[in-house]
Order: sequence, then C-alpha cells, then structure tokens
Amino acid sequence: MSTSSAVDIGALQSGYGEAMVLKGIDLTLARGEVVAIMGKNGMGKSTLLKTLMGYIRPKSGDITLFGERIAGLPPNRIARRDVAYIPQEQALFQDLSVEENLKLALARDRDFKPLFARIDDLFPFLKQRLRQKAGTLSGGEQKMLLVARALIRQPKLILIDEITEGMQPSVIERLVGILTRERDRSGTSMLLVEQHVHFAFAVANRYAVLELGEIPAVGSTADPAAQETVARFLSL
Amino acid sequence: MLNLGLDIVTTAAILFIVSTGLLLVFGVMKIINFSHGAFLTTGGYASVIVAQAGLGWWWSIPCSLAIGFVLGMAVERFIVRPLYARPLDAILATWGLGIIVGQLITLAFGRGVQMVASPLSGAVHWLGAQYSAYRLVLVGVALIIALALGWLLNGTRLGLQTRAVIMNEALARGLGISSARVRFITFCTGAALASLAGCLITPLASVDPNMGVAWVVGAFMLVLVAGASLVNLAVASTVLGGAQVLVSTFVNPVLGGLTIAVLAALLLRIRPEGFARG
Amino acid sequence: MADPVSTMPLRVPVARPWRMPLVVGVAALAVLAVGSVILPTFLVNNLIRSFLYAALALTVDLLWGYTGILTFGQSAFFGIGAYAAGLVFVHAGYSPLLAAGALAAGLAAAWLVSRAIGWLAFYHGASPLYASVVTLVLPIVLVQAIYSGGEFTGSSSGLSGFDSIDLPLEAWFFIAGAFLTVLAVIAWLFVRSDAGRLLVAIRENESRCEYLGIDVSRYKARLMDTCALVAAFAGFLFACVQMVVAPEYAGFVFGTELVIWVALGGRGSLLGPIVGALLIDTGSAYLSGDLPYIWTLLIGIAFVVVIVAMPRGLAPLVADGVRGMLPRRKGPAPVAVTFVAAPARERDDATGGTARPALSLRGIHKHFGSLKVLDGISFDAHAGELLSLIGPNGAGKSTLMRCIADGAQRSGGTVEIGGAEIRRLAPYDCVALGVGRKFQTATVFDSLSVAEALRIARYRVARPSRWQRSTTLELPQPALDVLRLTGLDRIPEQQCRYLSHGQKQALELAMVLALEPRTVLLDEPTAGLTKQERTQIGSIFVSLATRYRMCLLLVEHDLDFVRQISSRIVVLHQGRIVMDGGVDEVVNSDLVRAVYAGESHTGTAGTEGGA
Repeated sequence: MSTSSAVDIGALQSGYGEAMVLKGIDLTLARGEVVAIMGKNGMGKSTLLKTLMGYIRPKSGDITLFGERIAGLPPNRIARRDVAYIPQEQALFQDLSVEENLKLALARDRDFKPLFARIDDLFPFLKQRLRQKAGTLSGGEQKMLLVARALIRQPKLILIDEITEGMQPSVIERLVGILTRERDRSGTSMLLVEQHVHFAFAVANRYAVLELGEIPAVGSTADPAAQETVARFLSL
Repeated sequence: MLNLGLDIVTTAAILFIVSTGLLLVFGVMKIINFSHGAFLTTGGYASVIVAQAGLGWWWSIPCSLAIGFVLGMAVERFIVRPLYARPLDAILATWGLGIIVGQLITLAFGRGVQMVASPLSGAVHWLGAQYSAYRLVLVGVALIIALALGWLLNGTRLGLQTRAVIMNEALARGLGISSARVRFITFCTGAALASLAGCLITPLASVDPNMGVAWVVGAFMLVLVAGASLVNLAVASTVLGGAQVLVSTFVNPVLGGLTIAVLAALLLRIRPEGFARG
Repeated sequence: MADPVSTMPLRVPVARPWRMPLVVGVAALAVLAVGSVILPTFLVNNLIRSFLYAALALTVDLLWGYTGILTFGQSAFFGIGAYAAGLVFVHAGYSPLLAAGALAAGLAAAWLVSRAIGWLAFYHGASPLYASVVTLVLPIVLVQAIYSGGEFTGSSSGLSGFDSIDLPLEAWFFIAGAFLTVLAVIAWLFVRSDAGRLLVAIRENESRCEYLGIDVSRYKARLMDTCALVAAFAGFLFACVQMVVAPEYAGFVFGTELVIWVALGGRGSLLGPIVGALLIDTGSAYLSGDLPYIWTLLIGIAFVVVIVAMPRGLAPLVADGVRGMLPRRKGPAPVAVTFVAAPARERDDATGGTARPALSLRGIHKHFGSLKVLDGISFDAHAGELLSLIGPNGAGKSTLMRCIADGAQRSGGTVEIGGAEIRRLAPYDCVALGVGRKFQTATVFDSLSVAEALRIARYRVARPSRWQRSTTLELPQPALDVLRLTGLDRIPEQQCRYLSHGQKQALELAMVLALEPRTVLLDEPTAGLTKQERTQIGSIFVSLATRYRMCLLLVEHDLDFVRQISSRIVVLHQGRIVMDGGVDEVVNSDLVRAVYAGESHTGTAGTEGGA
C-alpha cells in the first residue's frame, strides 16, 4: 500500500446479496495515470466502480484512496474527497437546468463562475444553454455535460462508466482530446470502464481486463500486442 | 355567491397551509409522516401557552415554529431515520408517536377544549358581502408560505440539493450531497410548518388534544394526489377543497367532511400519479 | 423490502396435522367452561369483550402479519355487524328469526363493502401504501355515515337499550371464547397448511407470485372478504351481548388499536396477537381507571419502541425465552417432502416442427416518453429452439422480455404465445398461455423452504390443501432434472434464504419449469454463477430444448455460453434487430463484431455532439 498511488485495491470481493461479482481484485492506479478497465458485459466492471464509489459495500478486501482507507464510506463522503463519478445509467437531473446540474457538483455556489470559466472553452455550446433544462439537450450534448460536471471541480480522480456508448465517432474524438488534455495538464487520475478499444487506448496509459470477476490481464497501452490481447477478451 | 367563492378560496388556503409540511416530508423522504397531526396539535397548544403567558397572539407564530422544529429533530433522529427502509412501519411508528404526544398534552393541559382568542375578530365588508377577516388573512398567509418555500427550494443551495434528492437520491449522493442532512432538515422544516399551521388554525376552531387527527387524513390524501409538487398541492387544495365546500353547502356538512378523502381515493385509483405529470 | 417478520415454526406431526390443534382447541373449550363459572363477574364481563376483540386482532394478523396488507379497516366490518344487530333490534324488536335476519344482513353488508374495498385497493400494480390508505378511509366514511343517520342510527350516541338473545353471562363467556378458539384453530391449520404458505409468499415477493400464474390481487381480495365476514360476525355477537352499539366501535381509532395489539403481540404468529389483545384490552379495563392517560401513553410508547427496535413484536421474544427454558423435546421432525414425477399432461402439438410457432412477435415497439427503446421487433420462435438474444447494454433486451411476459408493457405490436394473442393480459394470465419467465436476480421466497416454494409454483396446476401438509410434491420431469442435477432434491426443507446464489438460480428455474411452460424466458441466467455452475445450467437448457421440446429465449452477455448452447442468435442494437441467424453465421459476422466493439453506428439513431 503506497501513499503515492491514487487508488489501491487489494483482494477486493464485492457483489450483490450472495452473488460475488468481484472475486478478488488487485489493482493499483498511480497518480496522474489513466487505466482502462475492459471486458464484456456482466463481468463486473460497473460493480467495481460502484464499490469504489461507496454504493456497494465490499465483502472483503481493501480500497485506499490517496493513502486513505475508504471501504465502507458512503458515496457522498467519497465524492467530497475530490472524486468525480459518471455512472452508466441516467446521470443527469433532467428537470434541472444545465447550470443547476453543474452547481450541484460544487462545494459552494459562488465558485461556479470562476470554475466554469476555466472549462467553458472545452464545452462552448454549454455557455448559451445554462438556463435550459438538461433534458432538452441532445444525447451527445448530455454526455458532454456529464464530462463538464465531472471536470468543473477539478477532481483528483475521475471514474467513468462506459461513456462512449451510443456516441458518434466525432464526439468520441472530441472527448479523447478533452480527457487527454486533462490528464496531461492537470495530472488527474482516471479509471475508465470501456468496451470501445480505440477510445480506451487513446486516453489510457494502461489497461486491465476484467473477466468473470477477476483480472486475467494487465499491461501498457503502448505495447503493440496490447490491442490484440484485449480484442481476444472482448470478442465473440 | 361571493361568499361561496370566498369559502372555497379560504378553505383551499387553509388546506394548503396544513398540508405543505407533509408534502415536503413525503417528497424528500417518500414516507407519510402520521405524526403530522401531533405537530398540528403542539402548534395549537403553543398558542394556548402564549395566551396563558399573557403575550399577544402573534407570539405564537415563532413559538410554534420553534417547538415544531426542535421536536422534529428528535423524531427524525430516533423514529424516522431507523425506519428509512420500512415505509409502512414508518407510518405506524409516527402514528404511535401521535398517540404519545396526544396523551402527554392531555396530561399537561387536561382533555378539555380550549378557546384561543382570534387576533383579528370581526368581518370585512366587501362588495356587499361580509366575510371573516381572519380567514381572508389566511389566504395571504398561504401565499406567503408558498412563496417562501418556493424561494427556499429554487433560490438557495439547500433547496437545490433538496430538489436533487427528491429526483434521484443515489445520484445526488454521488455528487457529494449528504442526503441524510437534507432529509433531517426537511423533516424538521415539515414539522415546524405543521406546528405553525396548528397555531394558525386555532382562532378558527377550538384547541383540544386531538385536534390534529381530523386534519391528518385529509392532508395526506391531498399530498398523495399532489405528488412532490407545491403547485400541484395548491391545485389539489383548490379542487378538492372546493368540492368539499360545495358538498357541505348544498348536500350535507357531514358528507362534506368526507369529500376530500373519498374523491382522492377514487382519483388515485384511476390515476395513481394523481395530478403529477405522467 | 421484506418485513423483518418470522413465522414461528410450530412442530406439526406429519400423519395427523389436525391432531395438535384439535387437542389444544378442546382443552381451551374445557378451560372456558370451567372459567365461566369460577372467575369473578367483572373479569368475565371484560373477557367476553376481549375475546371478540382478539378474534378481530386475529384477522388483522392474517391480513397484515402474514400477507403484508396493512389494514386499519377491520373495525369497520366489526361495526357493520354490530350495527346490523343494533338497527334490527331497535327498530324491529327481537325474535330468533329477526336475529338470524340481522346476522345475514350484517354479513351480506360486510361482504359487499369488502368487495368494494377489494376493487379499490387490490389490482395489478397497486401500491401497498394506497391499499392501506383505502382501509383507513373506510372506517372514517362509515362513521360519518353513522353520524349523518340521525335518529335512525343513533348518531354519535349510538343505539342502546334493545332486547337481544337472552342468555346468562357465563353462556356468553363460553360462546365468545369458543368463537375465538374455533377461529384460532382454523387459522392455525390454515397458515400451517400448504395453501397457507402462499400468504407468506405474497408478502415476500408478490411479483414472483404473479409470474407463477397466481392472481394475487384476487387472492388478497378474497382473503379480505373472509376476514370481513369474521369481523362482522364478531360485531354481531358483540352487539348481542353488550346491547349497546356506538360509532367508536366502527371507527379508525379502534382500527389502529387493533394494529397496535398485533404489533405488540407479535405479527405473523397468531398466538401473539391473541394474547396481546387479551392482555391489553382486559388490562386496560383494570388499569386505565387508576391511571387514565398514563396507560394509553405507556401503550403508545411500547408500540413505537416495538416498531422501531423489535419489529417482530414481543411474542417471539417470549417464545424464544420459553423454548430456551423448556427441556429439549424430541418432537417430530418438520414435514419431510419427497418429490415425485407428475404424470405427463397431454399436449396438442407434441411434434412441434411445422406446427404454429411457440412464440410470435410482430412489430413490437416500446417507448418511455420520447425515448424509444424497442422499434419494430418481429420474429418467430419454435418449439425445440434455443434462441439467444444478445446486444450491447441499452439495446432493449430485458425490455423485450418484459413485453412478452406481461401484456401491459408494450406500447404497440402483437405478441402471440402458442398462437394466442396476449393482448393486455397481466403476467399471471400470460403464464396460463404457456410462458414462464425467470428473472435476472434470483427471486425466491426467503422464509419458505425449497419444497414450499416449489409447491407455490404448482399452485396453478395443483391447488395445495387448505388444512393439510402433503408429504409428496409432484413435479414435471424437467423440474426434477434441475433439482437432481443441482442437488436441491436432497434439501427440500432448507429455507430459501440459506441457499447459495447458484442454488437460488437453480431453484427459480425449477419453479418456472414447475409451471409446465412451453416457452421459457431466461433473463441473464448465468449472472453470478461459477464456471462449473454455468456448464451445468447450459446442459440443462440444451436438454430442455432438445429433449422436452420447449422453446427457450435467453438474454445473455456471456457470449461463450451463448455460442456453445444456442441454436439461433438474434442480435439487438438500439431497439432493432440487426441480425437473426444461426450461431456460426452470427458469430463470424463483421457487423456484429463492430456492434460489440462500438465502432459502428446505424446513423439514424445517432447522437450529435455539441456545436
């Protein structure tokens, strides 16, 4: 357990009721690193993020966040430790305005103006739509709003669950640009759960495959054989 | 005719005032707080205490708010919070609390009926009709409460967090909002509002240890029909309250007392969301 | 969320389940006969009333403690019975004929009101809160009706001073006590019987019961009807012995008192509510005179404490204590059940093949508001086919399953099961057409044993006995195969809550197969299973299709599993079928590979990015 890592997961077992979805996960995320968690559906990827975020209590094992043990803490406490989470299911308050959705992520309302100013060049379309209800935005715009909400409070760790699902290729490219900029300039650590190989490899430094609740393969995304390894696990 | 119209408007206002506290708690915590009646009663007795202390009636307003809020804190902590996952049991426990409070008040004040002098006696003459001044004032009070709550919910940070918790508690927690704190504050506010309502209705009716019980069922039918929206509550109060007035006037006052409960039950059977949008 | 209630297991001898209750019942009657003579008059007087109240509490326990229907309205039915007697005796005088007429009128009125309440409160999709609300409104309405009756009903002062059946107090004591005893014995036999387990099943998992073909709403309504009749009878007896009726007996304060007694006594235990009612009601007759408000205050405090901290009530605690003190009895074991094969039922299209398809979908679409989840799904599935439905998350697979098993789900299109259109039928009626659905999360009945759960599953085919516990359970061969293969057949008495995840999945599958469906819908059946369990269940599925000629429709994410066992694969993407063919064809197709790797877009449903 080193205190210089962002996230340290040791022998994590977690699941719903008696179903043990994660059967002993070991994973370390260094500060400033981006790791892509890849694997087919039903393998436990979302469960991993939900456990990290405190929605699911782990059955056993350790989770350390920036040197601090967090297993068992509720989601709001973990969020306050500068962790931003973009879940896979409906993650926006559809009936609240864009501005309200963004403000909810902040610790203080008055921080909104300066913090928004820092990121509004990344999301130019948001500025005109601050008063609009989030539900009126298009699908791609809503996803971008989710990213903006995650970035606006300058988190130290971002957890993203399959954000590229249903996204157009052009939007995916933009997202790659945004996330890589965030990674390089601010040193934000990220855990991306993904099935989109191209996106994952463009943003992540390393990959880890999650299969049937275990991690059978990890490696660097720069490794030429990596894509093939991952494709094997993802294929039909 | 004008009197009838004023009856409807003032009845709607009174129902609204009595029900807002219950609506807040139901919207945020998704439970029916059956001790709402007990809080109404404590508010009524706050007026009695103030009158017995020789102070002006208007002192009962801050007095009832304070008592309601403090009592609400204890109830939320010890009774409601442990029953978060058992909503039907929460109904029962809060009902039991209502019994306890009723008995404590009876022990303290006796079971007799008390009258509290109205701060505004007399009638207002308007367009050839005479109407109780106090009832008209209550319409204004209902508006003030509605506006105040509206401002709180829409214009403050806590209000935004509360609305977020109403819409999706899990998501709100993931953003760092302590839903436990929101629920706590909501319950205390709801209790304070109930207590305030109790004190406001004392000039209209007598004060006795069970005064709150009669209002609880009607209030909670209105809340079920209204869902989680203040606007819907106003609409429900007007529609159902108006029906009550009409039935009481033209058919039978006893049946009038039933109108809200029966109409609401039928409405919910046909449209379980009530007045809420799809 | 299930209530934290346990039903106290009573040891029942296998051979003669009626023996113990009968013995206890007769003993109670003997005690009553003796007691009527030797007990002081004040006590006798109070106990008569308390016995009738205890009978009422019993009905509340059946409805709430066992079945999970929180009702405040039993007092209303009691009041109806009482007022039937009061009204007839006051306005028409007394005679045995009139008494019989009054009883009949009271029972009929109670039954009619109960039917109305049943219509209001129990329907497919009703919320439990709403049902409780309706039962709360009932006594309020009734009391107001009584008030508005003026002289005729006695309004708020009630009716009194009428003649009634002339019997000495001791006789009434025996009658009221016997009424309670008989009721308690019948209720005891019923809840311990095979049919009585259904109450618990409904309380724990209503949805599962519906998908097992049980019309839960109707069952609840019938239960309420029965309890209403009992309550009205009790009310009638009450009016006859007390010779006074008042609106308070029909009101909701009394109705909530009943709930309090049941909660304090111990819900779901029968004996607890009886004792609770007797102790509190008779106790208050003695104590509340001395400390009027304190007594009610104490009850209120006890009630709140019990609800918050000891939801099972006080009776189970006492029972545990007593059991701990008694020497260990070498009592008879709980009913041992053996599974046997059910006789094969004849089927009209046993050969399958060219006969009409088992499942036929045409133009199914489903939208939530403006979000279109399913768009024009059409395909046929035949007996003997093992069809897997695959596709990325959000493709609409689970939604499609729901639309097949529940006629009210889809927004448009037709679904035919075995040639019959499901129109807007509820899940329990769809089961009758031959489809069984296995949920993704293994939903079984925690408090029931394996055998009891399976017997519930056979409810449609073989009604369980209302007073006996059978030692055999007939199951169709496919269900038996599942049980034998997974070892569940060796642990029929094991409570479902102690089963492992894989065992629960297997049990649920066996329950669905017990329905003898022709088409089985399986929603992610391998979720959470170990490798070995996956292989096992895969071979079961294959045999269901090939040996038993069932049509299986699977939603799965585990593509290796799909590849191994399917005879046909349908790929769903963004609510539409993008491919439908044999295993090799689909597995090797580029389109499907692309869909899964997320690199292709159909374009039409694409999302645009920002400006």
